[in-house]
Amino acid sequence: MKREKLRKIEGFMALSLSALAAFFGLFWLIFILGDVLVHGMKALNPSLFINDPAPAGVEGGGLRNAFIGHLMITSFATLIGVPVGVLGGTFLAEYARGRKIARVISILSDIMVSVPSIVIGTFIYALLVKPVGHFNGWAGAVALSIIMIPVVLRTTEDMLSLVPWTLREAAFALGAPYYKVIIQVVYRGAATGILTGILLSIARVAGETAPLMFTAFNNSFFSVNMKGPISSLTVTIFQYAMGPYENWHAQAWAASFVITIFILILTILGRLIIKWRYR
Amino acid sequence: MAEKVEIEVKNLNFYYAGNIHALKNINLTISEKKVTALIGPSGCGKTTCLRCFNRMHDLYPKNRYEGEIIFDGKDILSDEIDLISLRSRIGMVFQKPTPFPMSIFDNIAYGLRLKGIKKRDELSERIEKALRHAVLWDEVKDKLNASAYELSGGQQQRLCIARALATNPEILLFDEPTSALDPTATSKIEELIIELKTEVTIIIVTHNMQQAARVSDYTAFMYLGEIIEFGKTDKIFTAPSNKLTEEYITGRFG
Amino acid sequence: MATTFKKNPGDLVFSIITGVASFSVIILIIGVLYVLISESSLSIGKFGIWKFLASTDWDPVKESFGALTNIYGTIITTFLSLIIAIPVAIGIAIFITEISPNFLKGPIGIAIELLAAIPSIIYGMWGLFTLSPIMSAYIEPFLKKITAHIPLIEILFKGTPMGIDILTASIILSIMIIPFTASISRDSFNLTPALVKESAYALGATKWEVVKNVVIPYSKLGVFGGIVLSLGRALGETMAVAFVLGNNHRIATSLLDAAATITVTLANEFAEADKDIYLSSLFYLALVLFVMSFITLAIAKIFLLRAERKYSR
Repeated sequence: MKREKLRKIEGFMALSLSALAAFFGLFWLIFILGDVLVHGMKALNPSLFINDPAPAGVEGGGLRNAFIGHLMITSFATLIGVPVGVLGGTFLAEYARGRKIARVISILSDIMVSVPSIVIGTFIYALLVKPVGHFNGWAGAVALSIIMIPVVLRTTEDMLSLVPWTLREAAFALGAPYYKVIIQVVYRGAATGILTGILLSIARVAGETAPLMFTAFNNSFFSVNMKGPISSLTVTIFQYAMGPYENWHAQAWAASFVITIFILILTILGRLIIKWRYR
Repeated sequence: MAEKVEIEVKNLNFYYAGNIHALKNINLTISEKKVTALIGPSGCGKTTCLRCFNRMHDLYPKNRYEGEIIFDGKDILSDEIDLISLRSRIGMVFQKPTPFPMSIFDNIAYGLRLKGIKKRDELSERIEKALRHAVLWDEVKDKLNASAYELSGGQQQRLCIARALATNPEILLFDEPTSALDPTATSKIEELIIELKTEVTIIIVTHNMQQAARVSDYTAFMYLGEIIEFGKTDKIFTAPSNKLTEEYITGRFG
Repeated sequence: MATTFKKNPGDLVFSIITGVASFSVIILIIGVLYVLISESSLSIGKFGIWKFLASTDWDPVKESFGALTNIYGTIITTFLSLIIAIPVAIGIAIFITEISPNFLKGPIGIAIELLAAIPSIIYGMWGLFTLSPIMSAYIEPFLKKITAHIPLIEILFKGTPMGIDILTASIILSIMIIPFTASISRDSFNLTPALVKESAYALGATKWEVVKNVVIPYSKLGVFGGIVLSLGRALGETMAVAFVLGNNHRIATSLLDAAATITVTLANEFAEADKDIYLSSLFYLALVLFVMSFITLAIAKIFLLRAERKYSR
């Protein structure tokens, strides 16, 4: 009897510790999000979206250029990264299915998903900034798209592989060529999954800072010229937070708030879509 | 000769997930050192019934027992029962072999170590005894430290039986133990069960009627959560009293 | 199977397009290596390999550069963050899979996913403005006090508690890694077949004994792979750490010292490097980081593949 009691006590303590760990994790989430919420909302005001930055040290001003710039860079990155990723994933799941090369590329993609994004930044700097002589928005978009590609490629590959082979056979039996089967049947079947993968990859790159720091750099003025430096929310947050001015810090919090909300909405949306579809 | 009753099931009712009434008024007596088989078509509740004996249902939320199962003078369905000691007295073997990711020796030692038996010689002795009972000793005595995964399916299942036997349980529950095995392995296990009953009381669930006829002394035929007929195996299979039983035995449904 | 489909011109075109797209990954890896090596060739030429890796110099004026302080900082912060993160993450995974009542599983799972989605710059901001002041005002002085007379350990806490140091950076990094590691561990734990767990219960094991003796050994490979993966990610983290590490190129001995990691150095100095040799040395650092993380991630992938193979038996 005594031994059994000991085992039960040991068990209770160990499991209590894991419960503690879980609430520890929850605690940080609430703490961090709460902070972002509180500080962010304090500094949130319409001028943030309407005005461009005031000169250093001067009160007022907004981050219109950063919002627009960030939107532009992310959009172009998506336009480049998503098609390449989806098509690449299609190759691995369809034409190269079962072949060794598919395995190799798949594994390499998985590794590239987690490679430091700042290294990608230096890579693009050498490729697209140095030769041109100045920072430019295109370099930033390309850098982000490079981060997106492996992510979209792998989710596309996984989602396409989930579509049962019999579905394809049914289409073949009706006389369709493979590429039509893929585009008209398989893509339809995997659409929600692929869409979620895309949403999540956008959420991922929208929050990136490092790859933009030496590519699109930053711009205190409003600019939509992708051939020159473009302002982005994340790099601005970095600069403003490290800077000496109180109003800069406040604006950095506001920008953090907007980015966080945007990313959280995208993430939740992605999960909801999957849940709803595969109910 | 009156046989001793080891377990008495009285008016057992069982509800899944709150209100799915899976077992209805089950009344059974399990005789000591005999094999009792539970048979019936898929979904009749035989596995559900078996899992009441070692309170496996407690692992999942919203399950509810009503009624009594009297074992060794106590109702094992009551809240006061210590599940850990109950389960070391009533062992279970599952439909698929479930070796733990450890060596053969450690697999069988597991239940013993849980009870606090640590000395190497005592463990070795009991492990050898368990393996001999499970008719596996000769095949593995030279590789007790090898991973249990190296054994064939049939051997793994006998390993699981040895593992359950090591703690000297009074009762062994078998849940379709041969459904994942080939015919040769199956017959080995059936022979084993017939031998084991001289030492352990056995309750076996099987969807294979011929198996029930071969190994059991008593059989309960279940249908839709109720016991339709219960009695000596010979009688059930040659002269069933209930029409439903007869139809099942002769393969007209199930 | 795939080759028979190339007879159709539409298939030929589509397969080439998709093939090229998939090869972009290979081209990318080769491209990054090539560019990094060629950009650092000036520095490699001047400092060689071993000398660069072993040198603690980092002097833009004297034009002498070495990677050791950065590598040291990278490894220390990563190592510390893992020490904190791993037990917590495994605890969370155990909670979600074995203890938590069903209605809580969903919300906590979502909370973990959300934590993982928060961009690192937000962690950095929060670290700079919230955690760092708390560290310097309360936690670090407290730690200094209680280790004041313990011989070896007090060295770990020497120095002014500014809040901008290895300790703060490691804590933030660990909070970042926890959700990721917890997620992978949870998925690995869930792969343990219910029947095997039930067998352990049937022998009279308590819930904790089932976790300790069956679930964890069964999911070893997956969990370990997840840990190495988190290691790989932590190595390359920039923004979470850049705000609170300072940028001090030295081999720090105290947790309360500022230090430098490869990523933080790159973030702070890349845009300012004025001389060719300076920039080239920074590229050299990037190359070292790329190789380090690539190898780590490859090792992680090997473990995860082995785990997959084991479970799909």
